[in-house]
Amino acid sequence: MSRTPPPPPDSPDEQLDAVAAATPPLVATAPAIAPGKRADAGEQTTELAPVYEVARTTLTWGFRIGAAFLTVGIVVALIRQEPLRSEAQPLPAIIPALLDGRASALVELAIVTIIGTPVVAALVIAAGFFRIGDRLYALLSLLVLAILGTSISLALLR
Amino acid sequence: MDVARAVELGLVSAGAAILGSMLGLGGGVFLVPIFILFFGVDQKLAIGASAVAVVTNSIVGSTVHLSSRFTNLRLAMLLQVTTAAGAIVGALIALYARTNLINAVFGALLVYSAVSMALRRRAAPPPFEADAPTRLRLEASYIDPATRTVVQYRPQRVPLGVAVSGAAGVMSGMLGIGGGAIQVPAMNLLMRVPVKAAAGTSSFMVGFASVATAAVFYAQGKIDPRVVVPAVVGIFFGSQLGSRLTRRVPTERLVLLFVVILLYLGGSLLLRAAGITLPGQE
Repeated sequence: MSRTPPPPPDSPDEQLDAVAAATPPLVATAPAIAPGKRADAGEQTTELAPVYEVARTTLTWGFRIGAAFLTVGIVVALIRQEPLRSEAQPLPAIIPALLDGRASALVELAIVTIIGTPVVAALVIAAGFFRIGDRLYALLSLLVLAILGTSISLALLR
Repeated sequence: MDVARAVELGLVSAGAAILGSMLGLGGGVFLVPIFILFFGVDQKLAIGASAVAVVTNSIVGSTVHLSSRFTNLRLAMLLQVTTAAGAIVGALIALYARTNLINAVFGALLVYSAVSMALRRRAAPPPFEADAPTRLRLEASYIDPATRTVVQYRPQRVPLGVAVSGAAGVMSGMLGIGGGAIQVPAMNLLMRVPVKAAAGTSSFMVGFASVATAAVFYAQGKIDPRVVVPAVVGIFFGSQLGSRLTRRVPTERLVLLFVVILLYLGGSLLLRAAGITLPGQE
């Protein structure tokens, strides 16, 4: 009677666990953590899994949405032979231009979406750190968000 | 929309991205000087376009690096504070500094990159001690796909790394490049972060720094969609191709060619800063 091999691991955490179990510790070992001791690197990686996942999802969707706006904008501009503007407009001016059906506005919205994606990522990363109880890195992420938010709000509202 | 011009800029951006990927420097290092020297694109517009292209590339690259855990999120967010702040300062310097100064700084950076590439050094992480005190909890691990081993590391000399990241941010903002050319060696040689983790963390960070740069240029009306769109599309597809080529082409054998290209572009910008334009350049 043949045995069915276990299914291959899917997530990076499962892969990490599977390889760690199957591979001799050539680089470093991860001993069990005694009560009161700090976590080792492997445990840190597992603990942060939700934060990594939410960051990856945000960046993926930000890129997809930006790329979709850009593709449609370029195609419409080419079909209509509509020239792109020589200077990207601020956000308050992009929305009325979009409502007028201007392809250049869609291209500018794509640029704004791409620039805004890491800002949204900083926000969800901060929320992710808060959720796992890591206040230090939640606050650092909020500080990064504040720095980026300051520069981007200047850009959007100029 | 001037399609012929856009296609030219897109193809050149793709070429810049292929070179940048193969060298691990990012496309902006080549894109900005080529736009300025050979296409006569205004320096500020070239830097703004490059910054947006770097954000795009960072977003795409980071989704892969986050999955493979090459990105150290805690380290990235810690270093990001000074990098992003530095990028805003650098972008403001770029907007108000004389063109010659920016050309000179960019030229010097390219010459530095050429020299450091010729003398490429890499540092291995120190042995990992699980019980060592870690107030900042920056230790992390990832699977090295080349050796199928779990690599655990703990960044060293963190305050120095934070300071260097601030300087990298200033350069990133001033020149519209990602800053990986400074960040990766700094993380590897100073902080003893393994090269793959340094590259993954830097790839994530440069997108944030370039957001700060792009936003400052956007606020000053220096984002020209006619330049940005070909740059973004070209850099995106060029980086994809560059990553695949890097796996197949032994880049070590091409180091001399890359060094010559970097020296030519760097020397051209330094000469441009001195008021000399080489034949064939605009």
